[in-house]
Amino acid sequence: MNECERIENSIGPWLDHELNAAESEVVGAHVTACSRCSDARQRLEKIDRALSSVLVDEAPKIEFASFWRELKQQIEQKRPWRKRLLEQAGDWASAPRAAWAVPALIAVLIAVLSYQSYFPIWRSRNNFATVESIDSYGRNVALLREDGSKTTVIWLYQNQEGDDEAAEETPPAGPAF
Amino acid sequence: MKLLKKLPRRALLFSCLALVVAGILGAAEKQPQSVQVSIGTILAGNQSDDFDVKLKGMESQLKVLKYRSYRLLKNESQNVPWRGAKVFEIPGDRSLTVTPQEFQDNRISMKVRLTQKQKPVLDTTVKIPNKGNFILGGPPHEGGVLVLSISAAAQ
Repeated sequence: MNECERIENSIGPWLDHELNAAESEVVGAHVTACSRCSDARQRLEKIDRALSSVLVDEAPKIEFASFWRELKQQIEQKRPWRKRLLEQAGDWASAPRAAWAVPALIAVLIAVLSYQSYFPIWRSRNNFATVESIDSYGRNVALLREDGSKTTVIWLYQNQEGDDEAAEETPPAGPAF
Repeated sequence: MKLLKKLPRRALLFSCLALVVAGILGAAEKQPQSVQVSIGTILAGNQSDDFDVKLKGMESQLKVLKYRSYRLLKNESQNVPWRGAKVFEIPGDRSLTVTPQEFQDNRISMKVRLTQKQKPVLDTTVKIPNKGNFILGGPPHEGGVLVLSISAAAQ
């Protein structure tokens, strides 16, 4: 947007004395120096004058009393809480707020799905090693899962019948836990 | 006013970007190249009360076992490709063959075979949490027993 386009957008508020002193000074100086913006100012002033003359002529003929009465009645009327809630919800659901809800929801989903990576302590439910199959070729085997240290132990030990006689060293007679 | 008009478009752009990042991260987790398998060979016994300081990190796990002394004999790590097997030498003419099977839900499934003098002693399939471990113990050695800590981390 160039300077003239920016100033043209500000001419309306400037004519209505809605700008602060500094802005007003910038717009005034530009309009004085720039023929294009000066034309834009004159157009707006012309429209303003035309509207004012119509309004001044016609306003007294309009019956405002009933309008104000109805407006006051609507303001004073108590709306049910459900309607107020619905209106508020509608407000929240309207763009652009609703648009931001989409990435926010995605961010929450990503956070929930990847929380395990950031908070290893939360992994406790899934923290055990699980034994899916085991074949100890006839030897006795014990399996332990210990909650405190999240430890899974597979322990080989001597058969009751003592059929490890061929072994050079004697395996333990029972599980070590 | 123009900023407000652009907000939905920016939000949509951000959403798409977030989805792409999530997709990449998800895909990255599902496709590790290999597994770093580490085997800690520990000799457990009752002849003394010595506890090897190198085992401090797994003291709570070893407390589960009712031995008085623990000494780390060997610690070996190898990168093992998926479905590829690597052999780890274990004292007492033993060997441990580890074959990672799959990576799912941040858990590594692997086949483990313990042999002694070429004869199979134990075959097991275990699913462990990524960067977690399990303990395989019991083989007798030098008056005590061997305790193997088998851990795996997806690379």
